[in-house]
Amino acid sequence: MSADILRVSALAAGYQPDLPILNGVDLTVRDGEFVVLLGPNGAGKSTLVKCIAGLVPVHSGAIRLCGEEIAAVPAHMKLRRGLAFVPQTENIFARMTIRENLQLAAQILPKARRAGRIAAMYDTFPDLAAAPGRRAGALSGGQRQMLAVARALIVEPRLLILDEPSAGLSPLMVAEVFERLRAINGAGVTILLVEQNVRAGLEIASRGVILVEGRVAHDAPSGDLAGDPVVAELYLGGKAEAPA
Amino acid sequence: MMLQPLMDGLVNGAIIGLGAIGVTLTYSILRFANFAHGELLSWGAYLALTVSAALGALLPGLGTPIGPFSFGWSVPIALLASMALTAGLALAVDWLLFGRLRQSGAAQIILVMASFGAALALRNLLEFIYTSSPAYFTNELQIAMKILPGLRATPDQLLVLGLALVTVVLTHLLLTRSPAGRAMRAVSENPALASLAGIDTRAVIRLVWILGAALAAVGGILSGVIVQIRPTMGLDLLLPLFAAAILGGIGSVPGAMIAGLTVGLAESFAVGLVGAEWRAAVSFVILVAVLILRPQGIFGKAMA
Amino acid sequence: MIDLLSYGAFFLTMALTYAVICLGLNLQWGQAGLFNVGVAGFVAVGAYVSAILTTPPVDGRIGGFGLPPLAGWLGGGLGAGLLCFLLGALTLRLRADYLAIATFGAAVVIQLALLNLEGLTGGPFGIGFIPRPFGGLAGEPGLFAAANLGVLILLVLACYLVLQHLTRSPWGRVLRALREDEEAARALGKDPVAYRLQAFAIGGFVMGLGGAAQAHFIGFIAPDNYLPTLTFQVWTMLIIGGSGNMRGAILGAVLVWALWAVSGSAVSALFPSGQQARAASLQLVLIGVALSAVLLLRPRGLLGEAGTLRSPLRRADRRDTAKISQGQKTNA
Repeated sequence: MSADILRVSALAAGYQPDLPILNGVDLTVRDGEFVVLLGPNGAGKSTLVKCIAGLVPVHSGAIRLCGEEIAAVPAHMKLRRGLAFVPQTENIFARMTIRENLQLAAQILPKARRAGRIAAMYDTFPDLAAAPGRRAGALSGGQRQMLAVARALIVEPRLLILDEPSAGLSPLMVAEVFERLRAINGAGVTILLVEQNVRAGLEIASRGVILVEGRVAHDAPSGDLAGDPVVAELYLGGKAEAPA
Repeated sequence: MMLQPLMDGLVNGAIIGLGAIGVTLTYSILRFANFAHGELLSWGAYLALTVSAALGALLPGLGTPIGPFSFGWSVPIALLASMALTAGLALAVDWLLFGRLRQSGAAQIILVMASFGAALALRNLLEFIYTSSPAYFTNELQIAMKILPGLRATPDQLLVLGLALVTVVLTHLLLTRSPAGRAMRAVSENPALASLAGIDTRAVIRLVWILGAALAAVGGILSGVIVQIRPTMGLDLLLPLFAAAILGGIGSVPGAMIAGLTVGLAESFAVGLVGAEWRAAVSFVILVAVLILRPQGIFGKAMA
Repeated sequence: MIDLLSYGAFFLTMALTYAVICLGLNLQWGQAGLFNVGVAGFVAVGAYVSAILTTPPVDGRIGGFGLPPLAGWLGGGLGAGLLCFLLGALTLRLRADYLAIATFGAAVVIQLALLNLEGLTGGPFGIGFIPRPFGGLAGEPGLFAAANLGVLILLVLACYLVLQHLTRSPWGRVLRALREDEEAARALGKDPVAYRLQAFAIGGFVMGLGGAAQAHFIGFIAPDNYLPTLTFQVWTMLIIGGSGNMRGAILGAVLVWALWAVSGSAVSALFPSGQQARAASLQLVLIGVALSAVLLLRPRGLLGEAGTLRSPLRRADRRDTAKISQGQKTNA
């Protein structure tokens, strides 16, 4: 029985007080898991992860990170508590160089560890090491995502949340990004991933959570969801796959 | 003959540049054109004047001119004190006014308007306290030395140039090389992402005010040393400051200084051509030209 | 009694000239959200153009065409409107506060021009002998004051009705839609720059008209009447009255002008003559503080229009939520 890294309970949230987008979300992510958050457009997937990251105000409910309540913790303090978030767009500082992006991300670490962690990121993402003086804005879509993930990983978070890193990437790049995520998860980082493509999401994650109209509609191991005829009918566009 | 306006223009331009750095930083990080920035120059000068007068009264020895310069040690000490006091003033105004408007989610243009009200209050408060008659740091007269044939400068003028240059280089290094500078650039580019990267935007905003106000104080004091101190000096400098900040490209510190020198030189040469009474129009002509030809400024990124 | 009445008429006439200026600013700011920091400059252009067109010829000064006041007022309005059009065309495609900076600069340059173009503006001494409407009645102060007040009431009423009609027309609705949610309005195929430019120019015309009327009412103008303080005064009137609301603009003008006159005479009664300049600066400190305080505490003014001055941030959020609810509909 592994510990809960993230526990969201009865969460209601939205940009405006009178207009909740999330209506009582319950969600648990356990240590070492790879959870994918699925659901139709406008279901509140993005709002949920932005809310956990501190970018969308919480109306009511609780968000616990490793048992500690973090709903009221300002966004800039969440990274220090081990929660890293990679937004879907504008997730790097385009006007800065690759090196500066990493230096900035490492700034909250003790001085002695910074250089080592930056070097570790160059090892993990050799593309970035090729030209660290390059402006981040000049990178390709896939490289940008790598830099964004590296920025988040540099502080060795306990939980890495990514909002649709596959958006706008070619299928080949998506496969590569997902491969990296699998490796990162294999190295012990818990991941919560928002994904538009249900099939691809269930393939990579160990558990799937489907959000519909601001509530959790399904929450089950990936294999079960992929084989569920209702899920298949609604979200996979047709017949269920053969049960695993 | 042609060299003399060069010297005057550079000295004046250095002062404009120091003020424009503050305008460009506030604009790029707090995202509004601060019409009260000129008042920080005036307040910087008056605060220094007050400190220096108090020092001179307590320790008359401090009033004796240093070497070739027109002022004694009381002025450099007052400069440091005034940088801190002006920074405190800027933080107080932010706490009272701008910070509250930011909290309430006010539109950018409301902040511009509030800065307009703050400018009126700050300027007239100076006029109320110190009256509108000009004041001076010193009564010493300086003889201009011959540097090159046709070029004369007072030691004070050379000091202003040197000090402005050092200040700009230090500010540029701070922004490009230090963690604090990186944090400022990050907030300037994307405040939400900066907070996700663990940067406390409120601390960065405080830093912007401190830096901008301290540089404004230096600019105001140098202007006071070279010319004179008046409550309207900040208002008169405001248009040149905006022209320089936009010409240099919003957010660029070296751009603000180079553009400040450009505006200063343009004023100085234009005065020779069309007369001193049109000096204030020069900045406007530059502003209009930049907005027509290259709205993002010399060192600015093209705007979307 | 007669004295008091004619003073009342004088005061109200003066306040109404400000009301006209304020109505022009209200179209620019209250309806279109355009921040004009050069009000004094545009008022000056209106006043000077009208004065040059209507005064009798003077040696050594260009102008003095002796035209009827009505032609002068029209010319003053057109002059200020044209200037606003040019500044708007220069900056409205750029950042929002570039317009503010440009109008501030324009006012500085206009002030310089008033002072230095002596052959046109009379320099620091300004222009005198500006014909007053109903000058023939000057012998009977009561009637004269009443006639002037009548003219100004008519002018304010005309401006009010025309502007009210404009803002309630489809054109005015687009203008407000742009202010509230530019992207949505743009999606309907409206070019924001064209609409804003029209509003800024028409507002400038009204401002110039107010300046011209004021010049003819006072009979004498000089550069000192058009210092940045005037801009502050008009802004305070609009903010206190409530931006976006035409009646608020008129009420604010009368109210602030009354406060200004009362505090001005209090200053001259309470302070020794040597200290009056200082006391007057304190008066301006209070205006600055009041302007900031209203922005902080009552951003819609006394008679504000509901739903004005929303932040772009909240606007963006609304768009976001609109998108999300749309998504729900399509997916439900």
